[in-house]
Amino acid sequence: MKGRFAVSASLMAMAAAVTLAACGGGGDDSTAPADTKEVESALSDQPMDLTFLWFEWAPAQALEELGKEYTKERPNVTVKVNTVPNPQWHDAIFTQFAARKTNFDIPVLDSQNIGEAVENGSILDLTDFVKENIDTSQYDPYFLAAYGQYPQNTTGEADPDAKTYGLPLLGDTWAMIYRKDLMGEEPPATWEDMIAAAKKCQDENKGMSGLAFHQAGTGDAAAVTYNTVNAIYGGELWDQGARKIDGVINNEAGKKAMDVLVNQMVPLTPKGSSNWFIDEVNAAISQGQVCVGFQWIAAMGGLIDPASSELGETKEEILEKLAFAPLPGQVTDKKPLGGMGLHVSKYIPEEKQAEALNFIKWFQTPEAQKKWAELGGVPARNDVLSSPEFLEAAPFNKVFTDSVSQLKDFWNLPEYAKLLNVHSTQVNAAISGTQEPDAALDKLAKDEQAILDESGGE
Amino acid sequence: MANTLQTPPPAAPKAEKLVAPPAARRFAFLTDRKLALLFILPALALLIFLSIWPLIQMIGLSFTDYSATRDVGYNIVGFDNYVDILTSSVVHERALTTAIFVIGAVGLQTFLGFTIAFLISRRIKGRGAVTTLFLIPMMLSPIVVGLFWKFMLDTQFGVINSFSDSLGFGRIEWLTQQRLALFSLIVVDTWQWTPFIMLIALAGLTAVPKYLYEAAEIDRASEWFKFRRITFPLVWPLLLIAVMFRAIEAFRLFDLVYILTGGGPGGTTETLSYNVYKVAFFGFDTGRASAYGILMVIVVIVAAQFYLRYLNKLQER
Repeated sequence: MKGRFAVSASLMAMAAAVTLAACGGGGDDSTAPADTKEVESALSDQPMDLTFLWFEWAPAQALEELGKEYTKERPNVTVKVNTVPNPQWHDAIFTQFAARKTNFDIPVLDSQNIGEAVENGSILDLTDFVKENIDTSQYDPYFLAAYGQYPQNTTGEADPDAKTYGLPLLGDTWAMIYRKDLMGEEPPATWEDMIAAAKKCQDENKGMSGLAFHQAGTGDAAAVTYNTVNAIYGGELWDQGARKIDGVINNEAGKKAMDVLVNQMVPLTPKGSSNWFIDEVNAAISQGQVCVGFQWIAAMGGLIDPASSELGETKEEILEKLAFAPLPGQVTDKKPLGGMGLHVSKYIPEEKQAEALNFIKWFQTPEAQKKWAELGGVPARNDVLSSPEFLEAAPFNKVFTDSVSQLKDFWNLPEYAKLLNVHSTQVNAAISGTQEPDAALDKLAKDEQAILDESGGE
Repeated sequence: MANTLQTPPPAAPKAEKLVAPPAARRFAFLTDRKLALLFILPALALLIFLSIWPLIQMIGLSFTDYSATRDVGYNIVGFDNYVDILTSSVVHERALTTAIFVIGAVGLQTFLGFTIAFLISRRIKGRGAVTTLFLIPMMLSPIVVGLFWKFMLDTQFGVINSFSDSLGFGRIEWLTQQRLALFSLIVVDTWQWTPFIMLIALAGLTAVPKYLYEAAEIDRASEWFKFRRITFPLVWPLLLIAVMFRAIEAFRLFDLVYILTGGGPGGTTETLSYNVYKVAFFGFDTGRASAYGILMVIVVIVAAQFYLRYLNKLQER
């Protein structure tokens, strides 16, 4: 009898354990505090890791390095920056959000992913925290809106009444890199001048290609390229008020931009470069294969590293050949907004949330921002952007400071990932010649409109 | 004369009642049937909670608009997800791409695998070492295979193009040109999985009874006749099983596409599995992705059933 009871009890326990495991306790975010005030008071002195999740690139290593400075302030805290390859960045964060349990405390979100995270209730509302702890007057209003607010203001600037879910970690935009030894010191004044100069350089230098830029159909590579050209030629991605994409992105300006991209720019790129993203563009410039390149400023550090460049044996030698300038304008002088914001996971213990908020508060101080710039990061505070520490830290930093007032972002919507998938695939189809430019743009507009209509959001 | 009135022999003394030792008595309630059940239970529990329960949940989710990331409920949408998928032009395009890939890759692998196995089975010198060498690609992770082929096939930086350029053939867009990109996927998959077919074909070839060849030789049969009438018919059923395994694997190809082409150029190398991944993780349409997955499972099950029936008939013959 005793044996029978023991076996039955074990079986019951096993079944209960498996059932519990299967149910998983999903959706239990009862530990999430009502507001950030409660959280701030919960700072712990126990040893802990403060974990970030970002994608693998140089700024991620710089952030971990910066974390050592934070450890000087909070010796019980070790900052860890976990990274994944860029194409898995969104999935790595949002699959953990889906499980309502994250192994990161601070997800670094692309500015356009905020909507998805907010609608799903996965990140903390920082509105009160920001009001009480951050001097927002030190930021360009566009940064505050793009990296933290949702819903984003139709003007693109921060709305004082909107809710804030993040603060800038890394500001970024594209810069033009050109071979001043082959094209002259002065950068081309307009987009069309740039294309003409790149073509001339290609014709005059056998074996070199005129241009290198992001073209891959994965991530936001090809999408950012088209959006940049589209904005420069006066196009818009959508009419936010009317929630209209079809008829807006594929209007005359949009089609002109696609024509310029596919028929004037792509022929100047190296053969087989339609799957290029950040690393390939850097490699082509460093190996002296191209005359003009476009790259995110935060990813340009390797270009002036003699260890990875064939343009010179010292940084000075490389800088005798390479020059950096803001993107030339055409109809407008808009530049793409890159960069990311700092957010706090809702699915972590209170003391971790408190530590994450404390880090964000520390990170926004001028001292931390200057250190960030020194390590290769791109800060967002106006006073730091115009400080000698930042401007002299790298030869391309001034390009960012000069571009801040002209930045333009994507849509910031919960449907962003789906829209981006269509955007990148269709632009890549046009670039790689698998579809005619106009047909690809029309399909892009139609499919994106369908996604927007299906979501039915406001 | 037999004495039929003989008295029957006395009955054998009754045996004493068997008494189990104390330890066995304690588990007397564990009959053979219960014991068998107890041994099966852990494996059964794993199967139920890791495979059957998720499958049932997935079937349930496929009739809803559930999204794994959203903190809101879900609505029952009936067969809407299934209708959407079956009528989607994107899905039709991905199905065609997948079909081309499956036929191309499995066809090529079967031809090469059988040919290599046939050559190896001819008792060549160092047969064991050659077989082991051929098996190496199969032992590698598809992600690793994808990565090094990506580097090798790159138009500007890849070693294959450097080589072809140095020979004056110019650079070939293996991964960025529409038709070539799908062909490259077939080639890489073939490089990795031909050894699987080869291994099974080799097992079949070595199992062919020698007396059949001896009889054929007595009849002065040609090599071609022996191959056509003895070797191939006996190996064919086993080869078909290998083809079925490979076809199922190829049908759900994801990793190589993800690494090598990312579905490009312009989505032309996106397979069904890659498309399911996009539906599931780009915007987390969990309900729709579940329906998509169920439909793929149904296709595989139905195709496998027809295939197995054909195989049974073949063996009956």
